[in-house]
Amino acid sequence: MEQPKVGVFLSDCGKQLSEILDFDALTNFVKGVPNVALIARGSEFWRGKGLQTIVDAVKTGKINRVVVAESITKVSDVNIAQAVEDAGLNSYLVEVLDIKDHCAWPHRNAPKEATEKAKAMLLSAIERAKLLEPIEKLEFPALKSALVIGGGIGGMQTAVDLADLGFEVNLIEKQPFLGGLAARAGRFFPTDDCAICIQPPSSDVKTITHTSRKCVYRSGLSEIPNLNILTNASVVAVEGVPGNYKVTIEKKPRYVDADKCVACDKCVSVCPVEAPDEYNANLTNRKAIYINVPSVYPQIYTIDEDACKFKDCAKCVSACPTNAIDLDQKPEQVTYNVGSIIVATGFKEFDASAIKEYHYDNYPDVITNLELARMIDSFGPTGGAIVRPSDGKPAKKIVFVQCAGSRDRRYNPYCSGICCMISLKNASLIKEANPDAEVSICYIDIRTTGREHEYYYERARDMGIKFIKGRPTEIYADEEKGKLIVDVEDALLKRFLDLEADLVVLATAMVPPEGTAELAEILDIDLEADGFFKEYNAKLRPTETKQKGIFLCGGATFPKDAPTTSLHAHSAALKAAKFLNSGKIVKDLRTAIINDEYCGDCEFCPVMCPFGAITLEPTTENHFVARVNDLLCEGCGVCVGTCPLNAIELKNSTPNQMAAQIDALLSVNGTSKPLVLAICCQECGHTAVDSSGMAKMEYPANVRIIKVPCAGIVRVNQILEAFKAGAQGVMIVGCKTDGCHYEVGSEKAENKADSAKVLLKEYGIEPERLEMFKMVYIEGAQFAEAAQMMTERVAKLGTLKLMGDS
Amino acid sequence: MLHHNVKKAEAISFSEEVTCRHGGETLTACYQCGTCASSCPVARLDSRFNPREILKLALLGEKDEVLSGDAIWLCTSCFNCQERCPQNVEIAELIFALRNIAIEAGNSPNIYADFGGALIADGRIVAISKFVEKKREEFGLPPLKPVGVEDLNKILEATGFTKPEQKEASK
Amino acid sequence: MKRFAIFLGCTIPARQPNYELSARKTLEKLDVELVDLDNFTCCCPAPIQSINLESSQAIAAYNICLAEEAGLDIVALCNGCFESLAMANAALKKDKKLKAEINKVLAKVGKEFQGTIEVKHFLQVLIEDIGLKKIQEKVTKPLSSLKVAPFYGCHSLRPSKLLQLDDPERPQIFENLIESLGAEPLEYRNKLKCCGGLLKGISDDTALELAREKLANTNKAGADCISTLCPFCFVALDIGQIQVKGKFQEIYDMPILHYSELLALALGVAPEELALRSHKIKADKVLEKIA
Repeated sequence: MEQPKVGVFLSDCGKQLSEILDFDALTNFVKGVPNVALIARGSEFWRGKGLQTIVDAVKTGKINRVVVAESITKVSDVNIAQAVEDAGLNSYLVEVLDIKDHCAWPHRNAPKEATEKAKAMLLSAIERAKLLEPIEKLEFPALKSALVIGGGIGGMQTAVDLADLGFEVNLIEKQPFLGGLAARAGRFFPTDDCAICIQPPSSDVKTITHTSRKCVYRSGLSEIPNLNILTNASVVAVEGVPGNYKVTIEKKPRYVDADKCVACDKCVSVCPVEAPDEYNANLTNRKAIYINVPSVYPQIYTIDEDACKFKDCAKCVSACPTNAIDLDQKPEQVTYNVGSIIVATGFKEFDASAIKEYHYDNYPDVITNLELARMIDSFGPTGGAIVRPSDGKPAKKIVFVQCAGSRDRRYNPYCSGICCMISLKNASLIKEANPDAEVSICYIDIRTTGREHEYYYERARDMGIKFIKGRPTEIYADEEKGKLIVDVEDALLKRFLDLEADLVVLATAMVPPEGTAELAEILDIDLEADGFFKEYNAKLRPTETKQKGIFLCGGATFPKDAPTTSLHAHSAALKAAKFLNSGKIVKDLRTAIINDEYCGDCEFCPVMCPFGAITLEPTTENHFVARVNDLLCEGCGVCVGTCPLNAIELKNSTPNQMAAQIDALLSVNGTSKPLVLAICCQECGHTAVDSSGMAKMEYPANVRIIKVPCAGIVRVNQILEAFKAGAQGVMIVGCKTDGCHYEVGSEKAENKADSAKVLLKEYGIEPERLEMFKMVYIEGAQFAEAAQMMTERVAKLGTLKLMGDS
Repeated sequence: MLHHNVKKAEAISFSEEVTCRHGGETLTACYQCGTCASSCPVARLDSRFNPREILKLALLGEKDEVLSGDAIWLCTSCFNCQERCPQNVEIAELIFALRNIAIEAGNSPNIYADFGGALIADGRIVAISKFVEKKREEFGLPPLKPVGVEDLNKILEATGFTKPEQKEASK
Repeated sequence: MKRFAIFLGCTIPARQPNYELSARKTLEKLDVELVDLDNFTCCCPAPIQSINLESSQAIAAYNICLAEEAGLDIVALCNGCFESLAMANAALKKDKKLKAEINKVLAKVGKEFQGTIEVKHFLQVLIEDIGLKKIQEKVTKPLSSLKVAPFYGCHSLRPSKLLQLDDPERPQIFENLIESLGAEPLEYRNKLKCCGGLLKGISDDTALELAREKLANTNKAGADCISTLCPFCFVALDIGQIQVKGKFQEIYDMPILHYSELLALALGVAPEELALRSHKIKADKVLEKIA
């Protein structure tokens, strides 16, 4: 390898730093360091003329490593790296250190000590630079295609967006018809219009207006050339990597040929078999061959396998004028190759039978909001009439019970978020159609947090709907009165009400649909404790997952109303498009490397890797070794810290590099205080150091900072080594446990700090010399305080005596 | 009179006092849905007692009001509320915790002094008379075995059992 | 032959020979041996828990230790005893910290809670250790045509998380046991609500109102008798009828029989051998109907 020739560029930030630090002393110090080929001083090096100096030095070949002492390094770092790359040197051979925020400003009242610390920082950067290796990029073609799982309003809108952008899209739906939960809901708040309408695709040549929205059946969804819709279909297997997935889909038979069926209804009229219509809450029967409602997509009949008598009857076969019915259809498997996958599996109503005191399972007149919505729908089983399912008589008194299974630690501790609005909508629709109906809503809290939502509450009161603050303890049947009784306390009046009801409507919790856990397993993505899919970051990346090619849409992450589902759908489409748009996946190879010689037969790293990037593969001698998928590896180093055999290294964060840096940082003290090493993760930990400096918070200059990708990379032996290298105290500074950028890194680091303390004790080192801290950027004050505290604590303990010292 | 809007400094420490206690741990989970109240067989018959209200008062730290009134003694310990509470608040046990605090403060209905006294004296809360023993013999029931009163009293002492005070008859 | 330590508690030996007698006779007929252990104390039910929860739990644990030492599971007849002991047993088995705390106390009397035995309700022994089938086989005088309103009482079922006797909202075991005697179990409003027994001496009016409601509801359902599992429920409903008559001039004349008494009758025990005369509301109606 070429001998390192390091160029050191010292910025005084418009002379302000040279008022604190002795720049001549720094220059002299750097001059004496081997392999330094160039020293330059200037006002700034991250832009303009200063940056040109670096570029020129690189271009002439005078230097092949770049060390820049700058300010606002998190910005300047990127600029310098790009310029160096453009100048022909690998951008990973650049090391930038922040002598302003990490040294001059926090130690401005101890300029001598600050100068000594700056020397140590420069030496550390130079030593690291010498050991830096160029890092190449991985690049391969990605398929410009996607799979959308779930054909509700979320999935449909994502599919249309992606199709509009030119991607090949496959939309699959488990049920025989598109529409999902939305279709059954009939109407949506906050517009009270049809649930099942979407923005039509741009390929709709007859609708080039901006404002259009259309019912699904007339949206032209099915005619988009690059959108392939598959109903009765579910994912059974996924192989491959982001950008190139091979998906196996099982398609249940419909027994009706989509290309021949003309939806004439003849088959239905001859079918002799009736079965409960689950789409309509089993309030009515349908035939064994059926479509849900006239406006569904696809308008192709389907046969209910469990009800149909097949060859024993086959009346539909002979009745069909186009020979579309094929009772011999078999399930088939199809495979698609797609670049990304969008999960839009939505949610379902909680089975309220679990709440025994509400008798949903054995009182026919206790129903759910979705079942009520079928009654309200004029396409529904009662043609829009609100009746008592027990006897079909009109329901005059209707009581809604909120939070049925939500906000309930026995079932679902969370607030489902949309049920208040659903009940307000349904109650108002009933009252609008039947002003004489007596409608009451029993609630714990009414939650109407969205534009126009509070208006629903207001309108409901205005319509005469009664609100009772109280969660009923039970619903029982009064046989003499022929009514249900809802037993509730109005907490505001402290009065016990036995509300008579013809119909009790449970606003049930919304829960993940069946198959969610299985799908998560197939896709290798995580679920939250509530059973819904876990987003990569709830605040900033709500539609992404830990798998970079897999996205989440709508209710798959949590129950959502229609506006939020739309937002989510468009976001998921944009994220998937952004990922696939260039047609290639580019990824740096700053990844983990396995040393096969040491690795063997344990499962720590594949289990610990937050990104599922490590698998175990058999070797010829019946052993297993870890294999890193460079595309999935995010370069956090959690595996490095986890490996009990020290068989993993992360490129440019190797133990040798880190040891050289630590030695350098601790080689110069210049203060009377004990040296404390702060190992900071590059995310929250290091930015907390930035912010303390930016805000000119003071802490002693004996605290030396080393940046690592994630606190999780630290090994116990490295902590011991740091003490050997001269640290009197060691701080590990990582993200908050829940906010760790690499999920488990901070937690793992804490565990390691705990076990290191045990070891330290055995070696005769006071365990208090080591401490783990967790902080975020805005907590600079906490960093300064912690640095001060550790210095005092260690000073009190006196000089560290290592075994073997005299 | 309720003083729900007033939040006093010492009040907060009362809810803490309750949650630190055996049986009182779940107090702060209460979100006042009222399931307990409508579950309660007593509350609808006697307006002095409403479990939801007691939890609210305890949460707001209305110590005197909770401990000095009749309310907490009117619970039948039927556990209906606890069974149905959606927040898993252990309401019946919370009432025990509140009663424990009240008794320590020397405040309880007289019947508890009888229970406490009998327990300490006999290890039972219903006395066995000579008459009962004779009757048992008549029915062919076996003679009663000795009671571990001595051990019981050691346990009472070790657990800080306070014998409830007997109040003047005028109360 | 299955052996149990019988836990009588305070009320049954003092006031309800009828319960004890019928329970002893029936279990003997069903091949269960009962052992009377020395030193059992009060179980420390709700009234004592009201004074000091920790003392109560420790004393319950002490009683469990006595059975552990004898290597016997406990059968409790009284709901109160069952609840106190079973709750403590379950809580201590589940919660290591609590167990350590209580054992520190028990060490003063040379005991240590191990968690090696079960605490069972009389009903539970019938269902789990004897079985409906065996009971049916042993019935010699089926109670056909008798309509029985089962009254579980509170502390047989709740808190269900610890007691786990049956589904607290829709229990079936009592009904099944009534059926096994050839009688018909009845449904009625508020079957699972409180008898009011524990309010006696605190708020007699409310206590009586709760009992009265059960009497009214079972009467309306057409019950020939109410069957109980607990001495407190028995007293509330039996003596309660005298008080209801005095206060409201309502006469129910509803016999109250412990399940053990019905069982004894069905197993062929002569009514005279049971202490039925200690009932305030005489069971004659029932005896006539099943004769």
